[in-house]
Amino acid sequence: MTKTIGKVAATEKNPTTIDEFYFWTNKQRILNPFDVVKVEHIEGSISFGVIEEISHITDSASYLSNFISSDFGDVDNEPNMHRIGMNFVKAKVLGNDKSIYTPVLDGSKVGLAEQAEVLQALGLNNIKNPLVCGYMEMYRAEDKITLPVHLNSQFLIGPEGAHLNISGISGLAAKTSYTMFLMKAIQEQYLKTDGSDDSIAFVMFNVKGRDLLAIDEPNEELTVEEKIRYTNMLGLSTEPFKNAKYHYPYSDQSTSKTYSYGQNSDIEAQIDANKGFKYKYVFEDDKLNLDLLFSNIEDSTGTMESIINFIVTDQGGFGEVTSWAQFINKVGDFTKAGQQGSDKEISVMSWRKFKRVISKALNNSIFSQRVVPEKNEIRLRDSIKDIKKNDIHVIDIAKLDQDTQAFVFGDVIRAIYDLKLGQEDRNENEIPSKIVIFIDELNKYASKDIPKDSPILRQIIDISERGRSLGIILFSVEQFKSAIHDRVKGNCATHAYGRTNAIEISKGDYRFVPPVYKNMMTRLDPGEYIIEHPVFRSLLNIKFPRPLYKQFPNG
Amino acid sequence: MQKILDFIAKETDGKNYKSYKYCFESVDIPKMDYEDKRGIQVKKKGETDKSLTTTKSVKNLADKIGENGSPLFKYFLDGSRRTYKVDDIAYGKRLYPIIAGQIGVAVCERKDKHTFKPVNLKNPLVISIPENANAQTTIGNNDQFFTNLIKKLNGQEILKTQKLNFSKILPYKNTALKENDKYEDRGIARIQDEMIALEQRVVFELVKARKLNSDSFLIKDGSLEYMKSSEARELSQIKSNYDCVIGVSKAFNPEALSNDVRDISRSIAELKIYHRTPAFMYQTERIPDVKFAVWYLRIRETLSPFDGVLKIEKILVRDIQEEEGLDSDEIDLISANIINERNPVCYGKDDRWAKHLYPIHLTESYIKSKYLSDIHFINLF
Repeated sequence: MTKTIGKVAATEKNPTTIDEFYFWTNKQRILNPFDVVKVEHIEGSISFGVIEEISHITDSASYLSNFISSDFGDVDNEPNMHRIGMNFVKAKVLGNDKSIYTPVLDGSKVGLAEQAEVLQALGLNNIKNPLVCGYMEMYRAEDKITLPVHLNSQFLIGPEGAHLNISGISGLAAKTSYTMFLMKAIQEQYLKTDGSDDSIAFVMFNVKGRDLLAIDEPNEELTVEEKIRYTNMLGLSTEPFKNAKYHYPYSDQSTSKTYSYGQNSDIEAQIDANKGFKYKYVFEDDKLNLDLLFSNIEDSTGTMESIINFIVTDQGGFGEVTSWAQFINKVGDFTKAGQQGSDKEISVMSWRKFKRVISKALNNSIFSQRVVPEKNEIRLRDSIKDIKKNDIHVIDIAKLDQDTQAFVFGDVIRAIYDLKLGQEDRNENEIPSKIVIFIDELNKYASKDIPKDSPILRQIIDISERGRSLGIILFSVEQFKSAIHDRVKGNCATHAYGRTNAIEISKGDYRFVPPVYKNMMTRLDPGEYIIEHPVFRSLLNIKFPRPLYKQFPNG
Repeated sequence: MQKILDFIAKETDGKNYKSYKYCFESVDIPKMDYEDKRGIQVKKKGETDKSLTTTKSVKNLADKIGENGSPLFKYFLDGSRRTYKVDDIAYGKRLYPIIAGQIGVAVCERKDKHTFKPVNLKNPLVISIPENANAQTTIGNNDQFFTNLIKKLNGQEILKTQKLNFSKILPYKNTALKENDKYEDRGIARIQDEMIALEQRVVFELVKARKLNSDSFLIKDGSLEYMKSSEARELSQIKSNYDCVIGVSKAFNPEALSNDVRDISRSIAELKIYHRTPAFMYQTERIPDVKFAVWYLRIRETLSPFDGVLKIEKILVRDIQEEEGLDSDEIDLISANIINERNPVCYGKDDRWAKHLYPIHLTESYIKSKYLSDIHFINLF
């Protein structure tokens, strides 16, 4: 065996088993969790293991012995030799090249693996429908190997499995960058296979600063080495995204009152290039979505629902209302004491509550009289309805208040759902067969604290459970996975864990993760992820390069 | 598969009894007294500095060496054996024990603070049976008989399948027993002699490979007083090998020199920390041609007076040394370097930790790790 680094040790207390084994190495040998090692096994076969834990021991019987060894606590004492010591490493068995799962034997040689062997060990050598999801680095110095990692795209965007969930604390986990990296890889793959039945489109929400407002512009800061990494190792181009369309919340032209972090000049330029749009909501068309404004409001008695039902069924004169202003006035009428509406079961108090909620939201200028297509104004629902293959719709909601964000998000999801269910008047063949929705801060819409009857939560659960067959794929991101509704995360086939904190890893969601990996999660660098994917034999620690599109470090 | 005892009984026309097998070291049996100090002749002055009459601190020198120089000791030698009574066998009217043994002799090298590796290991398996196992004893055919026997023995299936090999059959004398004498002890003594011979051989191999010099000394665990025996060579003939070797004893009789040096045991007990006694020169009747320099050194403050004191021996190899004693500077240098070996300790692993030198402890552990387990070994028979 080349590069032998130690030997298997099976003891009474720590025997080797079908699942794991221990081996010793020189104390100065640098290894890391996730490194793959190979072991000589019976019948000339090779077993592979992945490192889970590394411990250093000496022959010291107790701490007292160490204390005595420094002349009873003399910190300046420098002995002629160090204690005999070694590292012992716990490794999880990944497999055997001849499918022999008998535990590896005591004294078997353990060595570093070659690149091809690492791929074989991790089951990465025969991935079907490969889609690059990052790269792995293993070992140190002259032994170092770097290899691209591919996942099976059928388990990421259907039909075998679907949905991706990424978690990690903000600022350090680079969650958005990683999702964008994956989407870039997906778009590039689909652009190459243009013309086939299988097609894709993306809808993403910009929730923070200008993060996603220039995804089709190149990142000038990318170094030559990083570009080479993209082209040579990952097999991707260095072009930014293509076919991006940006949707900004409509606002008056006055600079003092804008609803986007995007600069007006940039937005104007995008509008001129016919890739920027301003979205609006028009009462007559969008009143059906009024319930979305109540997604975070506890409504255990169902009174809000009754009021919405009352309105959308045009009772009490709501059928004559044509604008948001009229609507507020009309609602106002019902809040007056003594008002006798046609439905006596709804109390005035409930109407007042209803008015309180909507008044605040409807103040926003996206709730407008009508849409002027000549000025690139648009209804999001119409825009989604017309989504084309390989399109990327970026919807900017960063500067909206939380309830309005929920409203926009819910509306878009609903529109996509309706589109894919064939409720829109469009030729089936022209609808992208898959639509990937990227939503940051999933906890706002699908956390465990969201009221159970929240329409958005219901919608998200439905997508996570049925989306795979419908072709609606959810790429969701949040800080703390443990806060997310079980049915949502439970249906995600692929999970990426970025840097998180100690409280989070103590939650039940991480129970299956070995302790060392858990602790590693609190130390991951930006651009480093631990990936769980159905076709991978174990968790993988992967890295990815900086994004290809323009970055706004200051928001 | 035929076991070893059956084979021996068949080959030597004896009758074996399948008696209880046990390891001598694991049961409480009287040990051979190898530290017998009869016939010692001591000269009070064993070093060149004749003015030194009391003890002397070598701590400053030790600190200086610790800061600047590299340690003097690079090689560490230890030998041990494990003996077993595996059976009784009848030859003629008498019953004789069969003694088997595992011998381990190893030298380890310390290259730097982190690197401690064995450079030489000899761990043969041996058997000791009475001389009259050879029924046709005629002068000169004994060696041949036992050489043939060992060859046949190693061809046995039980050894071949386990890739084991006995190196020697060591016949012990079957002459009639005197008072307090036992055949067992004779067998054990043969195995002990074999171990000493191996110790001498590894020192010889180190010298031959030019590993030992004035910057690279060897510490041997225990005394250097090798008795002359059938296997071991006469110490006087090989003493030049021992120019860069010292023997360090943990267990010693503080009264050994008391006939010639007044209050020796008291001055050892009262030895201050990092002090050494003056060196004495002595000879024993058993090894008449060899003179030793011996001194005592305290490396640790302990509750019990003799814990923490080491007895250090060096063979005087040159004529001038035999006349004038060992150079006092060399004694100081050796003592200072031994003081620097006081840490780390094997506290918790070995009850003798206060006077155990860590590299020797490691060498001893290495040898032990190479032994076959008692159960494994006993069940070969």
